Amino acid sequence: MSALANEERRIVGFLCNWCSYGGADTAGVARANQPTDLRIIRVPCSGRVNPLFVVKALLNGADGVLVSGCHPRDCHYGSGNFYARRRLEVLKRFLPILGIDPQRFSYTWVSASEGSRWQQVVTRFTEEIHALEPAPRFEDVEPLEKALTLTQEKHRPLGVGKQDWLAKLKEAISDKLADLDCVLGWQQGRDLLHSVPLFIQSADDLQKLRCDATCHNNLVRYLPDFKGRKVGIIVRGCEAKSLVQLLQEGIINREELVIFALPCQGLLDLPLVEEALGRYQKLEGLEITDSALKLRVDGKDVTLATADYLQSRCLSCPNDTPVLADYPIGEFTGESATTAQCPELAFLDSLSLTERLGFWRACLSRCILCHACRNSCPMCVCRDQCIAESREPHWQSAKASVKEKFFFQIIHALHLAGRCTGCGQCQANCPMGIPIFALRAHLNRVISELFDGYQAGLDPKAVPPLLTYAQEEANIQERSWE
Amino acid sequence: MNSDRFLAREAIGDFLAKLIQTGYTVFCPQKQAGVRQSVIFAPWQKGQEILLDKATVAPKHLVLPQSEVLFRYTMQKDSAQPEKVDVSLDDSQASTPTVLFAARPCDARGFAILDRPYLEGLFRDPYYAKRREALCVLTLTCSSGCATCFCHWTGAGPSSPEGSDILMTEIAEGFVLQAITDKGKKLLAASQLPEAGEKSEQATSARKAAWQSLEKAPDLSQAPQKLAEVFDDQDFWRHWTQACLSCGACTYVCPTCYCFTITDERLGKKDHEEGVRLRSWDTCMARHFTEEASGHNPRPDKAQRMRNRVSHKFSSYPENWGAFSCSGCGRCVTHCPVGLDIRAIVLAALAATSPQQRAKEAS
Amino acid sequence: MRIGVFVCHCGSNIGGTVDCAQVAAQAALYPDVVYATDPMYTCAEPGQAAIEAAIHEHQLDGVVVASCSPRMHEPTFRKTVERAGLNPYMFEMANIREHVSWIGRDIAANTHKAAELVRLAVEKLRQNSPLRSQEFPITRRVLIIGGGVAGIQAALDCAEGGIPVVLVEREATIGGKMAKLDKTFPTVDCSACILGPKMVDVAQHPKISLYAHAEIEEISGYVGNFTVKIRKRATYVDWDKCTGCGTCTEKCPSKTSYDHFNEGIAKTTAITIAFPQAIPKKAVINKDFCRQLSGKKCGVCAKVCPTQAIDFAMEDTFVTENVGSIVVATGYDLMDWTVYGQYGHGRYPDVITSLAYERLMNASGPTQGHIVRPSDGKEPKSVVFVQCVGSRDPAIGRPYCSGFCCMYTAKQAILTKDHLPDSQSYVFYMDIRAPGKMYDEFTRRAQEEYGTQYIRGRVSQIFPDGLGQMTVLGMDTLLGRPVEIKADLVVLAVGIEASKGARELAEKLRISYDAYGFFLESHVKLKPVETNTAGVFLAGVCQGAKDIPASVAQGSAAAAKVLTLFAKETLASNPQIAQVVLKRCIGCGKCLRCCPYGAIKSSQVRGEEKAEVIATMCQGCGLCTATCPQGAIQLAHATDNQILAEVDTLCQL
Repeated sequence: MSALANEERRIVGFLCNWCSYGGADTAGVARANQPTDLRIIRVPCSGRVNPLFVVKALLNGADGVLVSGCHPRDCHYGSGNFYARRRLEVLKRFLPILGIDPQRFSYTWVSASEGSRWQQVVTRFTEEIHALEPAPRFEDVEPLEKALTLTQEKHRPLGVGKQDWLAKLKEAISDKLADLDCVLGWQQGRDLLHSVPLFIQSADDLQKLRCDATCHNNLVRYLPDFKGRKVGIIVRGCEAKSLVQLLQEGIINREELVIFALPCQGLLDLPLVEEALGRYQKLEGLEITDSALKLRVDGKDVTLATADYLQSRCLSCPNDTPVLADYPIGEFTGESATTAQCPELAFLDSLSLTERLGFWRACLSRCILCHACRNSCPMCVCRDQCIAESREPHWQSAKASVKEKFFFQIIHALHLAGRCTGCGQCQANCPMGIPIFALRAHLNRVISELFDGYQAGLDPKAVPPLLTYAQEEANIQERSWE
Repeated sequence: MNSDRFLAREAIGDFLAKLIQTGYTVFCPQKQAGVRQSVIFAPWQKGQEILLDKATVAPKHLVLPQSEVLFRYTMQKDSAQPEKVDVSLDDSQASTPTVLFAARPCDARGFAILDRPYLEGLFRDPYYAKRREALCVLTLTCSSGCATCFCHWTGAGPSSPEGSDILMTEIAEGFVLQAITDKGKKLLAASQLPEAGEKSEQATSARKAAWQSLEKAPDLSQAPQKLAEVFDDQDFWRHWTQACLSCGACTYVCPTCYCFTITDERLGKKDHEEGVRLRSWDTCMARHFTEEASGHNPRPDKAQRMRNRVSHKFSSYPENWGAFSCSGCGRCVTHCPVGLDIRAIVLAALAATSPQQRAKEAS
Repeated sequence: MRIGVFVCHCGSNIGGTVDCAQVAAQAALYPDVVYATDPMYTCAEPGQAAIEAAIHEHQLDGVVVASCSPRMHEPTFRKTVERAGLNPYMFEMANIREHVSWIGRDIAANTHKAAELVRLAVEKLRQNSPLRSQEFPITRRVLIIGGGVAGIQAALDCAEGGIPVVLVEREATIGGKMAKLDKTFPTVDCSACILGPKMVDVAQHPKISLYAHAEIEEISGYVGNFTVKIRKRATYVDWDKCTGCGTCTEKCPSKTSYDHFNEGIAKTTAITIAFPQAIPKKAVINKDFCRQLSGKKCGVCAKVCPTQAIDFAMEDTFVTENVGSIVVATGYDLMDWTVYGQYGHGRYPDVITSLAYERLMNASGPTQGHIVRPSDGKEPKSVVFVQCVGSRDPAIGRPYCSGFCCMYTAKQAILTKDHLPDSQSYVFYMDIRAPGKMYDEFTRRAQEEYGTQYIRGRVSQIFPDGLGQMTVLGMDTLLGRPVEIKADLVVLAVGIEASKGARELAEKLRISYDAYGFFLESHVKLKPVETNTAGVFLAGVCQGAKDIPASVAQGSAAAAKVLTLFAKETLASNPQIAQVVLKRCIGCGKCLRCCPYGAIKSSQVRGEEKAEVIATMCQGCGLCTATCPQGAIQLAHATDNQILAEVDTLCQL
């Protein structure tokens, strides 16, 4: 026995049965000498390859993963490889934010007649994987304890104090309430700083309505539960996008909805405010203005600079105007797109691949697997059927390892690819404050790059980019292997 | 005789370092750069910052890890007789002497609440027992309440000793350490900390002041009975759980929630098969918690699940063990994404009129 | 489970570079494996019998064979295990020949890799479940694409077998390339005389519907039930009225149309009938040359047509046909030989292709069979034939042999001597490839009886000498010296390539093609007629170079495949299809959106929206499985858990 364990790298190949597997056979028939590292898993079509298989392999220690299918237009099933091309390209561009070297993953097309091309692809890919270090085991990565420096460049004016529209809103709801099963809004929670969802069914309920920068719950999350009943909902910019996305996916029906729209004033990052206040017993006063948060806490006045206590995603939000509304209330600034980036993402961009892996390793070790990120996500429509908890299919072990926690975040992010409307509930509701929104924000960036600025939740009639394809992809340049 | 010791603020590091030297693993509250505002109990190393904040998540994982291996199985075969499989099991449990430093009374009381079902019931859980025995809890008494905590509602308070081995009270120059159990006494005796002497009195008055700073607690003595009465009141539970997202935040930050699930995970090895049986945290707020193999689910609705959680803590556990299975730490209130407040639900149950009563009143 | 593993030596094919006994010993340690052995030839009768015996003896409920590619023998072994009473899907293969033993010489590495591939197969098999097919009705009609000799043969055989045939031909007449030929080798009998009757049979057969001047627009469906949309290109002549009398072609004033049928050696009229024996014998207007259709005033044909068949307003029309099987016989075209600068880039009128030369020699051709030079109409005295123009020439990316040029060149040399007894022919060749029955004898006759001078070597240059002849410079590699020949006419044996549009057609058919556009057969030796798409068969040169007898044979073979397929009333569906786990499905419809076959529909189950797979339409691609976020739709035999087991196993080993 030669010292194979040291010489070989673990390379996993997913080959479609009709073209690439045949191409590998053709190479064999031609006795085309190849490196021995690759292990081939035969799948019917490259379209069968769920990108999560690739991530699973890479997280579990594969040094490289290669997916090969029929050439575009040659798919045995007509269009499987077109879908694969989009999904695998998104995956390739997703890997770096996780801290995984994208060179470890490649996808290509080899036909059943292209034995020599297959030989070339295997040889080249294997050489490239050997040129890299052996893949780091996620468990062995040095956790990176690096301060997350968030630069806050810009924020939307909070405009609070101009609450005259609250009366108008109540009036509008009051007019419609009789026709509706319920109207989704917010009310004050345990104290002035905290707001919670309100399900308005009566005039008394309506009096409790509160709409300000503390109302951070995305109420669209509840809409699928009301399917079949006519309901009203109050939305702001990002929440309206979630709503549009659900309409696009056919999860909710437009005719069952009455949409009351408000201009968004940005939302407070409540855990940050709480951290600043420290342990307190009673909060007796709260006033929010563009410049200051004035609080009265345990008999003392505290003033904080508003800009420092906004949710980071609000800083990069392009527009306050809801894309869809029956009753727009208040003044909309209709601001044009900002170039500001999600600050957590800017931070991750500044790290090296190894640092990113270490960063996630460190952060996610805190994850308690409560799944508040998922359960508060308006786009997580699978609800009780999430693959995180199922045995059939068995994507995730119940082992509470950091790797499994990381994999869950990857599943969530990839399932949101092309669907995430950027409401940031995942991060805002994480009890452990893990900056997981960055993964979604990065994927949104990738989708936008690849599909001509596509953003989820703008058009109820748009076709989601990963559920369609183009025969010629304008922004995907495939590897030539020359 | 007073065996209290004094720990100066600047001497904490040395004290902990010495514990490590003597073979303890020391868990302290820690923050993390890169993560917003969360504090967890994690192994402390010499030189690390010393933090006394209340942790985001209770230290329950020291006795009941998020997931643990109950046993490991190995299936060995011989090439010559492939039909024959030798199965070996390894259920050995390792535990290291551990000090939990700067727990809060509500955290410590959590251990006492866990002890009953795990140690005092029909079965004594060997995995839990091993860890629990190796654990010495140093509790920092609270100097005040906070907006979400309510320990004094549940029969305890900011300096309750239940579940603690040593109580540690902050005074002007540092901390007075008071042994509660033999385990605590031994640890203090072995420490080279100076005796507290008259500083003990400062500690006593600090604790009193803490008690006095709290608002009067409502009387929850009728809670078990009242909750049993509203048990079948669907409207009550639907109303209180309308906003619930069915996530597990409340149960996983809780010091007293002790439910688990068991799964087998296979690990393929080169020439044999191995696997582990895992015990992992589970949450009664999730639909799959009660899903049966047939597909039937006795608690398909989130209202039924919330009813279970609240009733367990304030009604059925007290029926079995004579105390609430809630230490009033308030973490579930703080961390619920939609601000559901267990205090409000219990108070509402106390104030509720049962459907029968309502029917009577109506007629 | 009780799994048996058979690690095949395949003689020395695997055994030479893989320690099969070691792999079997290793496999015996794998979970659930109760029996492992290493037979010499597993696929041979004794090998298969041994599997059956082992299934009985060891009460196996699953079998892994590690041998060649499953694309080769998976069906074989499925039948083997079925004979022994197992469900045929309780079987997995590990490919340790094409993917291991044949591609590396390091025995240790190969053995290690083979053992791991066996482990993968075992882990996948452990999660297999028995699958059963469903029966579905089939449409017993066949579509034949291409009306050359291969397509004609297939059409006639199918029709004679009682199967209705839809024959689609792109040109205005069937007959293909063979209809253009003068004589055929090695018998030198008249091409039209042997093809003509078959063409007439096609026209007259009650079971054959012919669409000439038509193309395939769209194909959907699957074996047994294809739906084909056919574009009938406008002819501007109502064929129901046209009697093929030819009056229009005589009177048409536009007489400079490119004559495709005659390979451009003469001009023709804008309205034409390709040749006197055309089937269907109907006129077609070439709109590029028609005055009326180019906006000028004309309409002569309409005036003279005795049946008022001319319809200048005609547009393309579409018909839809339902068929159960498809035979593709689209033939070939000549490659663009003008890439050869040394042969003049096509600038010299007296350097022509051999197919054009056929038209020159053909009695029904524009010269009535008189061989004359295109430049001045004089009879050539010296004719040079150049072989392998665009064949076996890697320099221009054409490494393959076109197969039949050696033979027809010999034929053309013989015929040249027959037509012009005082002429001298020269053939520049690389090798003479004449392996068929009577073929070598035939090329010898050309040399020995007809005095054709064969020169072994390539032609390096052809240029006009300025005195009315072409100078051909070449090398005689047998004598090792340069040769220079004055030629009156140079005939190039231009290499073939797949016919124009073959790639696009392959994409519509979802079959594979090689770098030159030739369609890929299912197995190069054992399934030369089948494709990877069930129900689609190949005939003739579209699959690769072959001569007339081979094309006819393959046409008949394809017909036999169709008849075999249609011998049953119903077909068994592939059970490796998607299955919905109702409990998990939330009815979000993502699978419906991307299914390439429309094989998933939405249905109500106890008031809830759920996906439902239409079993006979699902082809088992698994796109839905990769799309469903809940994992609620699983492709049988390639479930998430099966692929995860393979991935996890690989990463844990």
